[in-house]
Amino acid sequence: MSPRAAGGGRGDPGAILPLGEAAWTVVLGERVDAAIHERVTALAAAIEAERLPGVLEIVPAYAAVTVFFDPIGTDAEGLRERLAALARERMPGRNAFPPSSGPSGPLRPVHPAGARDGRPLLVIPVSYDGPDLDDVASRTGLSRDEVIRRHSAPEYRVYLLGFAPGFAYLGDLDPSLVLPRRSAPRTRIPAGSVAIAGEQTGVYPLATPGGWHLIGSTPLAMFDPAREPAVLLRVGDRVRFERIP
Amino acid sequence: MIEVVKAPPFAAVQDLGWGNGRAWGLPPGGAMDPLLLAAANAAVGNDRGAAALEWALGPGALKFGRRALVCVLRGAELRVEGETMEEAIAQVPAGGTVEVIPGATQRFLYVAVRGGIAVPPMLGSRSTYLPGGFGGHEGRRLRTGDRLPLGDAGRRTDRGMARSPSAEGGDWGAPVPAESKPAADVVLRVTRGPQWDRFDAGARERLFSSAFKVSNASNRMGYRLTGPGIAPRETATLPSEAACPGAVQIPDGGEPIVLMPDGPTVGGYPKIAVVIRADLRLLAQCQPGRRVRFREVSLEEARGTLRAPDAGP
Repeated sequence: MSPRAAGGGRGDPGAILPLGEAAWTVVLGERVDAAIHERVTALAAAIEAERLPGVLEIVPAYAAVTVFFDPIGTDAEGLRERLAALARERMPGRNAFPPSSGPSGPLRPVHPAGARDGRPLLVIPVSYDGPDLDDVASRTGLSRDEVIRRHSAPEYRVYLLGFAPGFAYLGDLDPSLVLPRRSAPRTRIPAGSVAIAGEQTGVYPLATPGGWHLIGSTPLAMFDPAREPAVLLRVGDRVRFERIP
Repeated sequence: MIEVVKAPPFAAVQDLGWGNGRAWGLPPGGAMDPLLLAAANAAVGNDRGAAALEWALGPGALKFGRRALVCVLRGAELRVEGETMEEAIAQVPAGGTVEVIPGATQRFLYVAVRGGIAVPPMLGSRSTYLPGGFGGHEGRRLRTGDRLPLGDAGRRTDRGMARSPSAEGGDWGAPVPAESKPAADVVLRVTRGPQWDRFDAGARERLFSSAFKVSNASNRMGYRLTGPGIAPRETATLPSEAACPGAVQIPDGGEPIVLMPDGPTVGGYPKIAVVIRADLRLLAQCQPGRRVRFREVSLEEARGTLRAPDAGP
């Protein structure tokens, strides 16, 4: 077998790496960066719009898009080549956003860089009553109100969904609020807890363990398996937090 | 209706899981040993992806509200009304009690009932997602006193809930292979993972030359393996990207974690290899302490294992 077919290629931008026999990961960068992430969402949308045969699921992440396909009856190498071509169109230095050639995707249109205003915006109501709010205030040297103001000011980007169904990693947090994760993670965090850690913020969709700082809570169900759609956010969406009593 | 008259230490409703939620954090889930689930379903005339009970760690008993055809795979003792059955399949009379006593070698067994377990599907599957507490029967393990609805035994069950026939854990056309001898190391075929290049020659060599032990810290999300360290060249994690069942993640300590069906959909640990789908069930069935080894195969070879068994040369 050729080294290329065997996979394990370097993780350079543009590389297509195998994640098992039924998925390709397209690498677009090696760090958390809004510009790289813009290419991630654009590539994911383009792949979706192509409706490539055999493709089952498309998972955009911080700096890579993974495409899961049916390993039976799919031309895996042909798919890889198509993904490589789509990725090349989106590398820096290229005309990153050529006119859309395919039909528009079923779920999301392709947005050019900078046109984030077209992305869905979710406003999440928050009671800033979390058990770690005072601790965050003292560790950042800010007042409680200032922590709240700085958390609810930005428009965040959904970089990634994972950890639990519907858990959105939102960035970028105001630099003055950046703290490492708690040294002692909690074994159970209530669903709806609004939390911060590192350069990110998020809402726990389910009662799970976790190590982020809890600053508030939302009555909004971020995940409800009985609801259609079960999750309120997709990667690339925009989010704002709005203070409620 | 089935009543759980004595819950085993671990039992939950599973089918072949989801194939539509990775983009928002829902793993594929479903049976840890989809081939065994399919075989048990086939034995009672169900479609292979019908919902059944995934059962582990000890004995338990079920009472049937109506006459039912039941199959228990594999390696378990099956008693109907106190009488040990010679076969793995039995007709249970209305009001009859079934006891299931797992054997020692397999970790998960499946109790399939003609008509399937008719809990309401959620997001397209009847599987139980224990980490999130939803799906299956009230999103949790079965407890004594639970009552589970049964599907119509006069009709074939609906065709599994997996979106694609070969979605994760899906199209397992091959016959159930004989169990490997308990004494032998279990050999797991792997393809090179996306971060293969982050490991030096020594780490790669240790991956394939060493035996690893399945740790007690193993569950439906992942199996930890103990053995020689396989640290990557740089310990830095990468920005989280998609993972999948079978992914062999190497945390900073260097001891592998193999992701299982309920494992996270994304992660930042480097993945040195990925266990091929056909072999992941072999790992799933390993009891703690069991020794496993990895053997490299090409992507083509891995895909070849998934072809229908009647496909000609």
